[in-house]
Amino acid sequence: MSDYTVVGQTVARVDAVEKVTGAAQYGADVHPPGMLYGKIVRSKQAHANILSIDTSEAEKLPGVKAIITQDDVPSGRRVFATDKILYLGEPLAAVAATDPDIAEEAAELIKIEYEVLPVVQDVMEAIKPSAPRLHGDGTKDGPNRREIATQIRRLTRDKENDHSDEISKLEAELENYPDEVYYNISAESHSDAGDIEKGFAECDVVVEDTYVIPRVHQTYMEPHVSVASADSSGKVTVWASTQGPFAIRSGIAGTLGIPLTQINVIGTTMGGGFGGRFGVIITHVPAVLLSQKSGRPVRVQMTREEEFTDGRPAPGCVIKLKTGATNDGRILARQALAFWDSGSVSGASIGSTIRVRGVYKIPNLKVDAYGVHTNKSGTAAYRAPGAPQAIFAGESQLDEIAERIGMDPVKFRLMNMREEGDPIPAGATEPKVGYKETLEAVADAAGWWDREAGENQGWGVAVGDWTNGCGPGGVYVAVHEDGSVRIFHGSMDITGTDTAISQIIAEILTVPYESVTIRRGDTDSAPYSTGSGGSVVTFTMGNTAKLAAEDAHQRILELASERLNMNVDNLELRDGEVHVVTADPPKSILLGELAAYSLSTTGGPIVGKGSFARQASTPALAAQIAKVEVDPDTGRTRVLKLVASQDVGFAINPMAVEGQIEGGTVQGYAWAMMEEMQYGEDGNINPGFVDYRVPTSADLPTVESVIVEVPAPNGPYGAKGVGEPPITPTLATMANAVKDAVGIRVTELPIKPEKVVQALQSNGH
Amino acid sequence: MAKHHVNLKVNGDEHDLLVEPRKTLLAVLRDTIGLTGTKEGCSTGDCGACTVIVDGEAVTSCMVLGVTASGKEITTIEGLAGDGELHPVQQAFINTGGYQCGFCTPGFIMASKALLDENPNRSEEEFRHALGGNICRCTGYTKILEAVLKAAEEIRTTA
Repeated sequence: MSDYTVVGQTVARVDAVEKVTGAAQYGADVHPPGMLYGKIVRSKQAHANILSIDTSEAEKLPGVKAIITQDDVPSGRRVFATDKILYLGEPLAAVAATDPDIAEEAAELIKIEYEVLPVVQDVMEAIKPSAPRLHGDGTKDGPNRREIATQIRRLTRDKENDHSDEISKLEAELENYPDEVYYNISAESHSDAGDIEKGFAECDVVVEDTYVIPRVHQTYMEPHVSVASADSSGKVTVWASTQGPFAIRSGIAGTLGIPLTQINVIGTTMGGGFGGRFGVIITHVPAVLLSQKSGRPVRVQMTREEEFTDGRPAPGCVIKLKTGATNDGRILARQALAFWDSGSVSGASIGSTIRVRGVYKIPNLKVDAYGVHTNKSGTAAYRAPGAPQAIFAGESQLDEIAERIGMDPVKFRLMNMREEGDPIPAGATEPKVGYKETLEAVADAAGWWDREAGENQGWGVAVGDWTNGCGPGGVYVAVHEDGSVRIFHGSMDITGTDTAISQIIAEILTVPYESVTIRRGDTDSAPYSTGSGGSVVTFTMGNTAKLAAEDAHQRILELASERLNMNVDNLELRDGEVHVVTADPPKSILLGELAAYSLSTTGGPIVGKGSFARQASTPALAAQIAKVEVDPDTGRTRVLKLVASQDVGFAINPMAVEGQIEGGTVQGYAWAMMEEMQYGEDGNINPGFVDYRVPTSADLPTVESVIVEVPAPNGPYGAKGVGEPPITPTLATMANAVKDAVGIRVTELPIKPEKVVQALQSNGH
Repeated sequence: MAKHHVNLKVNGDEHDLLVEPRKTLLAVLRDTIGLTGTKEGCSTGDCGACTVIVDGEAVTSCMVLGVTASGKEITTIEGLAGDGELHPVQQAFINTGGYQCGFCTPGFIMASKALLDENPNRSEEEFRHALGGNICRCTGYTKILEAVLKAAEEIRTTA
């Protein structure tokens, strides 16, 4: 047991009452007087040239106050499509009207003439020369061509010697790889370690497979929304549902050429984000433009259908993976070639392909990844961006190897896991981490070692790693004359982080959690804060809060020293009072008394300041075990048990940490078993909850969470960011469980019943 | 568009309103009356975020036209706590951590309240299926179920 009294304890969250009474104010709840309702006009084609946009009919509709197109963007930065449409639902114009139904009517009255172009939705088709191009050719060499081309370049550079023979030989070799000229490429990423050829040559078992992971939507429950109000002086106020108000401020400034000082972004209570709520143009910029044009506040709110067609979901990808090991269970080599579907813009998480290395000592590694353009909306982060996809491939293939060499999947993983001081393939050196502890914890909790399985039942295990990010933040803390503590900062609460900050400050100032209040400022008032994504908040703001509280703590001791005429070394803050350590009889002064006294001192009130930007983070592991039962007739998989452990460093609020583990695990389950954004010639074809099924309470059993605490040296009280890791292993956990149950290895997600039935039938069932 | 006279009793208060026939009950509650605690998550009746209680029954208010609710008694999330006391369901959601972002929470609480009013003696499995019309993306449902079961126990023991 720790000596802490507030951190490490489960407490009700600071926003508890407002969240259960409907008082919390989300974006769509903001309604300034005179507000208009905005509606974005969207493309009804997935790939087309725009011939004309005619707004004249819409303008005549009573109640319409403003219509904007790209012509209304003074900076010229692309907000609306002008000449070419790249996906269904791409914004073309926007309308503001006195009523949401009028705005919708007006949007439908805007006439667009298109010249329809051929569409490409599949990444493996898009890289072929026959594919329609989205942004010119965008050709890149595949891994073999790339290597040969690099050699040619190197030899050509050497002017001192004649390499012409070698060069022409290499050029001839290029011809061996005609399919390795990839088209529609938006980005590429390559890394390696060791000698991949040599590594595979030393293996007894080599397994090769292609994994296909679908594009899925973050599906935060609150659709994107913003309310903008531009006043006559040019000042713009934006109430934004976002993970990063400061990023939205600079994004609006950059897009529209407005000075930062003229923009105030007020972050509204966020109805889920999961990485998908950082976009600037999505609703915020159209709302500002409409407000500037109409001279009235305007709310732009997406519908759920718009979320699916023009949200920024997680990218799907195709990963060709090859792994080799020795018969005694040592993984020696792994090679990946990945194609990420980045949609109409670049930016899919291609760099995350490296996560196929997992947490294992793989001496020889080669990873080549490409982002590929298709006629879909762009993508964004979704909870550990890119990791669930790469880890699905890596952890699925690990089980195939374990099976072939006849080793228990947990033992196989434990044997290959990196330990402190081991080199990370294509990375630095492993710090002290809890990989083995976390896997052992889930195995013990799930009953892995004496597991039993009935007919068509099976067990699956997988692990996933992630490291929280870090960024700048600032916190002020003030102590008032009643002894209460007030916190002020600018970071968006991401389901419990304000509570963690409050707990940390209460701990240091030795006051009850209940006497602390926390307030978030807007970008006009609060110190800069990094966006609430990448599991950064507890790590960053926790450290910042600690510094602020320690600053206040110092001032408190100074004041007490002055007031009691005692040396600071002889004073101690404990239980909300400053005690004179050596006094007999005991002597102390209450925090509130000191705060009151401070008001008439030269030094002034108790105000602590914390400012922080960067410290090295420590990786975290999530390990999960599922027991499932597959109905061979219907192909339906029922989860009988789902246990999730995670190395969280230190759980500042255990109930909130469990909530993150449970929620992330279920999102991973959904990606494995049910979710998939589907696209046809016309674009997204399942833009609603009937066709894009997300799990409900009826789909799942209780998720059992197991907290493992291996402290992070730089985390507040050892805490690591906890939000992202739990989604990373679940895709493979489920696939491995289904394989164990009925012998079917599903490499293409989601594991829909029809896929299982088909596979069983072709296996002769 | 011609407006119709609508009389709603919401959380005990009478509202005489003129409402366009195309406006949903959700739009009337949020935009006309200003009770924004009820949320719009999908507009198609699939997510349950807009759940309110109409004459004792949980309904998705985005699927009900405001004019058809005339003369009915409606309870929204704002009307649940009374005399400064939270309803047992609200308190249970706090105590178990049954909410995270909170956007689906009003709908979950209203759906749970209607279920508990009807019959608090359900098994966990029955509650899991009965709440299948509400989507939560944050919690994974484990702590929501814990909250509803706790509230059921509380209601059973105090009834």
